[in-house]
Amino acid sequence: MTATVHVPGGSMPAAPVEPRKRRASKVPYLLLLPGVAWLLVFFVAPMIFLASQSLQTGSIEQGYALTWHIGTYGDALSAFHSQLFRSFGYAATATVLGLLVGYPLAYTIAFKAGRWKNVLLVLVIAPFFTSFLIRTLAWQTILSSDGPVVGFFRATHLMDLLRSLHLVAGNDLLSTPFAVVMGLTYNFLPFMVLPLYASLERIDIRLLEAGGDLYARPFTAFRKVTWPLSLPGVVAGTLLTFIPAAGDYINSKLLGNTSTTMIGQVIDGQFLRVLDYPTAAALSFTLMLAILVIVAVYVRRAGTEELV
Amino acid sequence: MTEPVGGFSPALMRGLLSRRTLLRGVGGAAVAAGLTACGTAGTATKKVAAKDRAATDKSSSEKIVNWSNWPEYIDVDDKTKKRPTIDAFTAKTGIKVNYVEDYNDNDEFFAKVKPQLAANKDTGRDVWVSTDWMASRLIRLGWVQKLDQANIPNAKNLEPNLRNVEFDKGRLYSLPWQSGFTGIAYNPKSTGGKKVETIDQLLTDPALKGKVTLLTEMRDTVGLTLLSMGKDPASFTDDDFNAAMDKLQKVVDSGQVKGFTGNEYGKGLASGDIAACLAWTGDVVQLKADNPSLGYVLPATGHMIWSDNFVIPNQAQHKTNAEKLIDYYYDPAVMAAVEDYVNYIPPVAGAKEVLQKQDPSVATNQLIFPSAATLDKAHVFRGLSADEETRYNKAFQSLVGG
Amino acid sequence: MAETASTGGDLHLQSLTKQFGSFVAVDDLSLTIPQGSFFALLGPSGCGKTTTLRMVAGLEEPTAGRILIGADDITDTKPYRRPVNTVFQNYALFPHLDIFENVAFGLRRRGSKNVKQQVDDVLELIELGHLARRKPTQLSGGQQQRVALARAIVNHPSVLLLDEPLGALDLKLRRQMQLELKRIQTEVGLTFVHVTHDQEEAMTMADTIAVMNNGRIEQLGDPASLYENPVTTFVANFLGQSNLVRARVTSRSGEHLTVDVQGTTFTMPRARCTSESDDIWMGVRPEKIQVNATAAGANTILGTVTDTSYIGVSTQYLVQLGFGQELTVVRQNDGAPILRPGQEVYLSWEPAHTFGLDARQDAKAGVEREEGELVPAGDAS
Repeated sequence: MTATVHVPGGSMPAAPVEPRKRRASKVPYLLLLPGVAWLLVFFVAPMIFLASQSLQTGSIEQGYALTWHIGTYGDALSAFHSQLFRSFGYAATATVLGLLVGYPLAYTIAFKAGRWKNVLLVLVIAPFFTSFLIRTLAWQTILSSDGPVVGFFRATHLMDLLRSLHLVAGNDLLSTPFAVVMGLTYNFLPFMVLPLYASLERIDIRLLEAGGDLYARPFTAFRKVTWPLSLPGVVAGTLLTFIPAAGDYINSKLLGNTSTTMIGQVIDGQFLRVLDYPTAAALSFTLMLAILVIVAVYVRRAGTEELV
Repeated sequence: MTEPVGGFSPALMRGLLSRRTLLRGVGGAAVAAGLTACGTAGTATKKVAAKDRAATDKSSSEKIVNWSNWPEYIDVDDKTKKRPTIDAFTAKTGIKVNYVEDYNDNDEFFAKVKPQLAANKDTGRDVWVSTDWMASRLIRLGWVQKLDQANIPNAKNLEPNLRNVEFDKGRLYSLPWQSGFTGIAYNPKSTGGKKVETIDQLLTDPALKGKVTLLTEMRDTVGLTLLSMGKDPASFTDDDFNAAMDKLQKVVDSGQVKGFTGNEYGKGLASGDIAACLAWTGDVVQLKADNPSLGYVLPATGHMIWSDNFVIPNQAQHKTNAEKLIDYYYDPAVMAAVEDYVNYIPPVAGAKEVLQKQDPSVATNQLIFPSAATLDKAHVFRGLSADEETRYNKAFQSLVGG
Repeated sequence: MAETASTGGDLHLQSLTKQFGSFVAVDDLSLTIPQGSFFALLGPSGCGKTTTLRMVAGLEEPTAGRILIGADDITDTKPYRRPVNTVFQNYALFPHLDIFENVAFGLRRRGSKNVKQQVDDVLELIELGHLARRKPTQLSGGQQQRVALARAIVNHPSVLLLDEPLGALDLKLRRQMQLELKRIQTEVGLTFVHVTHDQEEAMTMADTIAVMNNGRIEQLGDPASLYENPVTTFVANFLGQSNLVRARVTSRSGEHLTVDVQGTTFTMPRARCTSESDDIWMGVRPEKIQVNATAAGANTILGTVTDTSYIGVSTQYLVQLGFGQELTVVRQNDGAPILRPGQEVYLSWEPAHTFGLDARQDAKAGVEREEGELVPAGDAS
């Protein structure tokens, strides 16, 4: 604040120091411009258009007009709330599974991999070298009924277990909620592993030694030292998995069936096929707000501000 | 070939992206972008008057034509990866063809070009290939231009049964690129050796439970269902449509259907994950080449026929060149070369005679050169008013997106 | 868990060896550290002192040898079962716990009663009771160091290990902490094993120092005897500074030894020569050398001042002898005039301050110092 002292313009027009002062005071704001412009163009503007679209009525023939028709939200929600809740259910399950798979993986890479660390990290990211779609299609092959995975599940009665949990219906894995959740878990696993790795890798190994030195058995040392210190990675990883998974529509489309439809698929269908832009926009907006609320509650409860 | 993806071999790519494969997923970003775009153009959607559609034609000064088509929908030399008929066109006319395989799906493509068309701006494309109902919508919206018949003398070769379609009487705006049937495909390995010969069997046979897919193309799925109920897709009523939807809804609720697909059904059908499904002829001809045991049936109650049609969008910069291109492909010898590769039904009379000499196996295939009797049982879906299209799409979408 | 802290007794290292691949970090080390003593392992980096400490803590597994506390063999005991606590280099305080919980960590793991009382008491001892609810990052380096110490001693271990505990502190704070550590050790009466490369730190605090080099103990003893009677050139050079001059024994009569250095005769107590050979290094500490204008008494030699470094409390000279070798001389600034380069002086020292070492040893051993290390006493201020 003290740096931005303005001498009233004109009082000392010829003073050599004056222009320099004035310029210095504006530079920080000028530096903000690209960022602010970026936000306005790529975030605020689309957001306004989206909100506006959701409140319009009309058709592709007649054109659309902003009629503040808030009822679109109610109609969309009453028609598609089950897909919305299902999306969050699937995304939450995939996030938990991702954490269960990703944490030991990240832990191994961070602490046990030695010179293989970089190789393993590349392997974690390697699936990203192909497109999301191709990866998901690959799961069709993996889970297909003539594949070995199905055979294994049938032979070990895991299939019966899944059936009793209503995760599969018949004797197949493909086109079931199980397949969708697997696909989500797999596709977003790197988003879980990388932040976890980053926070685990930062942990000073001497802290773990200190834990052992202070009478903590390995599991206690993990619970009292490693886990709390990796919490920022856990929070980041779960958010980076949950948010895109909740909005995903590829996995449920390619690996699911008609009763695994997620909200992203509904939005896609309303926008592309039905050409009901207001409903698509209203659902998009609702999805975004719901995620925002969930994330806010989660981050608050996780208490990341307590962590270093 | 389509755009290269990762390090996949052409063979695998063929498997994953058979022609017309609906890789809508790629459009994930397009959805977001589209939502934004529809905001900008939201209120500007209007029919464009005929006098305002043409741009100044640069055909004579710029010897190029920009053509958007479906993936794997043209002849490709398997060795050189070149496209012989396109190269021959360029050699003959001096017009360079910018051939882009970015038409993966009617709805997605529509979303892509809608902002420009709604604003009556150039889309950067001179010609593309839309399925009947999309061509119908584009004509209805006034977003495509009349073809200059003087530039397309070969249009006289158009098969007579395609000359007067409901959405384009006299073919003023569109000319077919390829046609195809929609019927039933099945994998005997997965049906327990059973044949699947009727729509009712497909929709109710317990042996197929949970292993049936239908098409996301509303006209194919609903059309075949209407036929199975003794209704004509070319002249059905709202009540007929609702009855068909009720029938389908019951089928979906019973767990008979595992999903609705574009033609990504090929992989599942070959592996047996799909026991039986609605399928398009060209796909099946190709699938059968690798899996001879696959069965394909045109149901006795009748089957659907459709075409993908050349249309020239408003404000196309090289309209005359596009028309010359269309004219070129209406030469029976040229169309025969395309057909020998893509295995759909050619709309050009005389192509069969050319192929009979060059590749008799293709020329005798009923799915490529159907007999008059087969064509008699082929039905088209009637044109829909804007209001019907919206209502039917909405109803069908809630069936698909349960 | 058993009350591990109750097992007391001396710490015994028996033929302890640690190899990393082909590199021998600790080589057949045997040592007994009496209960209640303040023991320092002193040596340059890479000498094996930290590895030894980590083996005692259980953080490294010995390749061979045993570790005992009293009669208990703890060689194969898991670290979390050893009655041993460590003050880590850079402290290794848990950043997510406050000071109180850091200190309480070990007590809680062992299910101690009266955790609050014990933690409060030890925080009182280190005078940081008012900062109990702060996070480690909110503390200064010296405060963190004391917390690390409190976190260890609150458990009343049989042996407390300190790994370069003052290495991260600046000089002034380090001096202060040296005294504090010594005070606390006296107060709690635990066995402290202190690893350091800083000879001044070791001498200030330790009762007994083991000078380590290349995985072995070069010499063991109390600070004064190590300094006054180094038995190897390494110890002579690493602990303070030494002038080592090549000499030849001319006679051994009774208690004394007579040696010849380039024609000049010197005597020293026979007991202060560790070699039976006739070729020896004759050694004398810089501050033991007298500087005179005229020749006086025994052990006198003429030289020329070549360099003068005024340090305040003292002045360090380099004096070149007739045969070319330079000796380092440190003289208290007690009012005598400062000598100028070029001035001729007579150097002399008491025979009792002379020591003799085996001439086969490297005269430069232990001279090379790592960066950031303290230079010898007297130079430091």
